[in-house]
Amino acid sequence: MTAVAPSRPGLAMEATGLFGVYAHVPFCLSRCHYCDFVTYTGMEGLRRPYAAALLAEAELAVAATGPEPSTVTSVFIGGGTPTLLPAGDLGRLLERLRELLPFAPDVEVTVEANPETVDQAVADGLVEAGVTRVSLGAQSFDEGVLAALGRTHGPARVGQAVAALRRAGVEALNLDLIFGCPSEDDASWADSLAAAVALGPDHLSAYALTIEAATRFGRMVADGRMAEPDEDLLADRYETACAVLAASGWRHYEVSNWARDPVLAGAPHRRGALPSRASRHNLTYWRRGPYLGLGAGAHEFTGGVRRWNGPGVPAYLAALAAGRRPTAGEERLDGEQAAFELLALRLRTADGLDQAEAERLGIDPTGAPVAELRRAGLLAPGPGVALTERGMFLHGEVVARLAA
Amino acid sequence: MDLARLRNFCIIAHIDHGKSTLADRLLDLTHAVSERQMRDQYLDKMELERERGITIKANAVRLAYQAGDGLDYVLNLIDTPGHVDFTYEVSRALAACEGAVLLVDAVQGIEAQTLANLYLALEADLAIIPVINKIDLPAAQPERVAREISQVLGVATSEMLPVSAKTGQGVPELLEAIVQRVPPPKGDLDAPARALVFDSLYDSYRGVITYVRMVDGRLARRERVLMMVAGGTSEAEEVGVFAPEAVTTDELAAGEVGYLIPGVKDVRQAKVGDTVTGAARPAAEPLPGYREPRPMVYSGLYPIEGDDFPDLRDALDRLRLNDAALVYEPETSAALGFGFRCGFLGLLHMDIVRERLEREFDLALITTAPNVAYRVTMVTGETIMVSNPSELPDQNLIDRIEEPFVAGMVLCPADYIGAVMELCQGRRGVLDTMEYLSEERVELRYQLPLAEIIFDFFDQLKSRTRGYASLDYEPSGYREASLVKVDVLLQGEPVDAFSAIVHKDKAYAYGRAMVSRLRRLIPRQLYEVAIQAAIGSRVIARETISPRRKDVLAKCYGGDVTRKRKLLERQKEGKRRMKQIGRVEVPQEAFVAALRTDDSETR
Repeated sequence: MTAVAPSRPGLAMEATGLFGVYAHVPFCLSRCHYCDFVTYTGMEGLRRPYAAALLAEAELAVAATGPEPSTVTSVFIGGGTPTLLPAGDLGRLLERLRELLPFAPDVEVTVEANPETVDQAVADGLVEAGVTRVSLGAQSFDEGVLAALGRTHGPARVGQAVAALRRAGVEALNLDLIFGCPSEDDASWADSLAAAVALGPDHLSAYALTIEAATRFGRMVADGRMAEPDEDLLADRYETACAVLAASGWRHYEVSNWARDPVLAGAPHRRGALPSRASRHNLTYWRRGPYLGLGAGAHEFTGGVRRWNGPGVPAYLAALAAGRRPTAGEERLDGEQAAFELLALRLRTADGLDQAEAERLGIDPTGAPVAELRRAGLLAPGPGVALTERGMFLHGEVVARLAA
Repeated sequence: MDLARLRNFCIIAHIDHGKSTLADRLLDLTHAVSERQMRDQYLDKMELERERGITIKANAVRLAYQAGDGLDYVLNLIDTPGHVDFTYEVSRALAACEGAVLLVDAVQGIEAQTLANLYLALEADLAIIPVINKIDLPAAQPERVAREISQVLGVATSEMLPVSAKTGQGVPELLEAIVQRVPPPKGDLDAPARALVFDSLYDSYRGVITYVRMVDGRLARRERVLMMVAGGTSEAEEVGVFAPEAVTTDELAAGEVGYLIPGVKDVRQAKVGDTVTGAARPAAEPLPGYREPRPMVYSGLYPIEGDDFPDLRDALDRLRLNDAALVYEPETSAALGFGFRCGFLGLLHMDIVRERLEREFDLALITTAPNVAYRVTMVTGETIMVSNPSELPDQNLIDRIEEPFVAGMVLCPADYIGAVMELCQGRRGVLDTMEYLSEERVELRYQLPLAEIIFDFFDQLKSRTRGYASLDYEPSGYREASLVKVDVLLQGEPVDAFSAIVHKDKAYAYGRAMVSRLRRLIPRQLYEVAIQAAIGSRVIARETISPRRKDVLAKCYGGDVTRKRKLLERQKEGKRRMKQIGRVEVPQEAFVAALRTDDSETR
């Protein structure tokens, strides 16, 4: 696969050259303690009908985008646990999408999977279905931390899943990690990072544990049975991740994301250049590019309009049986909101905004607010506006200051 | 009107001792209010008063009563405020009467404010009718309370009337006692007119309405009148009585109580204590006892939204029409922007003004900690008054500072003498006298700095005596004290709104408390922030806020950018509400919380 150099995006979302399709599979074997995504345990009888309904929604969604659809540069099947659907169902969805839409020759097709659901047959089935990238929810390599998070797999299971996927010939692998977890300490976090690196993935995501109200952790915090993760502790763990991964040659290209770059490996690091193994689908979000959103609770952004489906599975099936999409809401942003959103999204990635883009968003790269943020070490030196690693972990503060 | 058939009286009572309920019963029995108009606590006019259950403004009602002797009498009930902030208003209302009903709760016994007002009534030579209320309550101890009253008044317990204002028991006997024991008013009907203004309020339709007691002569509708203190003449648009709604009459004559609408637009032109006379034949001397309203407590009022400053000015101008005691002048705070330094009669008056500004004018305000006015003598010999602590001159330029003192009176059960003394001594109080009212109740008199009283003294007194102690005080002059100004600095910059003048022995504790409070209230910033308390250039306390390290939202699940954008927009809005002190961003809520005074930790 050749590296995709994303075109320089401007304010208009069509200028990104990116077009994604997101499909949501809201089924899980069990509920993790931190997770507030749209997902349901059980519902075994609804899984196949749901997969069929996704095909129907894809048709409606494509029809709504007009007669000459853009070329798809990425597909992302997320969850939930998409691998709870038979590989054949995922294959049929991808097939239908290819019938409905032109696909780029180097299209990135990602499927999320929990390690315990991936055996050799599943891995082979995914590759056969056209999947080019698998994102594994490893979260940690510490037995105690995994149990505290409510995960059902053990640390060894991740390696087995990676081996099966590599044998099957998956092009790119991502591992998700979470830090700041209960029963985690400095050493176990460093060990998890080392274990993840040792498995040789192409991409790593490391998220700070966030307590959401509608989760078991959220209820525990509300009841006082658990403390919110401490700001300094999270920052320490984040700095550990930055240091460990940089030392192993990883490129930190977004707040929570690192990728390897085999093409540039060994070459001097050039600021702002994104690594070739960056997630193209997620870049579509961060560049404010367009994407279709299929499935319960999925979000979509096309023609400058953000719309989303309701979260319920039965309601989803009923709507599609009646020939319509279960739209729960949509919004059209005014110019100021769109500019603010673009600023917030674009600052998440290491390339940030070049001088002209910054000025178009009303930010003077030589002005006092930028100068103060540079002095504080949150914005990198240079003609444009881009976050440092420290600045990435203070993204909210920087955005609020630049936009205030 | 035959003066012999007239009785002017008031009710002296502590808050919650049943004054308003008794007034309602008197109105019932004299049929002054129809059933349809009757509502609980008829005399308390303003919404705020009804909610707080206290009487702020004096009021007057005329009752028609046929006594046991078969003759018809007119009884004027003059209501009085029940709070130490309004002692002067009480004294003017008392001056309008010949008699007072001393109403004491049969459970609580006599309280300090009641006692203070009783002393005022005795000074004014009023006939006192002691009444023990709430005798229907199971916990009532009428005998004990009677002994206390007997000790204070030197009257036999047989002269006291037991009543229940709630059930009406004993109220007919009280009406008879008012007729028999309160002397009729004296007054010279032919002398030049003199009417005492015992209350004055502003009505948006009628302008100023004065409540008056005619002392001499007569004043008629359409007559030109002269305010002897304020100096203005105008035409009396209307005169009348309250029965209890306003009823117009042709004139008011010596001895009568009623209202007079002098056709002016500002209560300053007809202040409480002023004397109204006829412009054509003015009296030679005004009635004695007039006093200018004297602010005791000062505070800065600032709009939370800077744009609201003109609205705040308009609102204060409006309130002032109805409140001759409210004084204010614009001031600028580096921390809080444009606002007003306001002077109040006391803490309750301050709370009432603030609540009215927020409620009636829909303003969101930051109120700086209340303080007193200091008399500062400079080394040059010049004397200045300082009512804003941040304006205290440099210590080297000051020869001495004097602070206002009050003569405080505390009544409490004997068991709590120790607790009260400990509190008063902790507040730099000096004991004057201690007297037993009965075996169980003690009256303690202290000289106390007013600044100590306005800082949660009352709450402390209540909590240390389980609510049994009561307090009254009156100004007793200025005394020199070792006072220093404590400044609070953020990153080395003084925040004027947090400056305070405190006794030097308490400066350290105050500084410590303020910096630790602010450490909790100010969010982490881009840089390390030092919070210091200092006297002059000497730092006495310090806290550090370590820099912010994490402020980022988690992944955007399934492309949900909307939720993330909304959270960031909220954060951006929050930034706009921050006050910038040098490089430090301080949320408005931090100012509000840091300046709260209902929390004892700062002293």
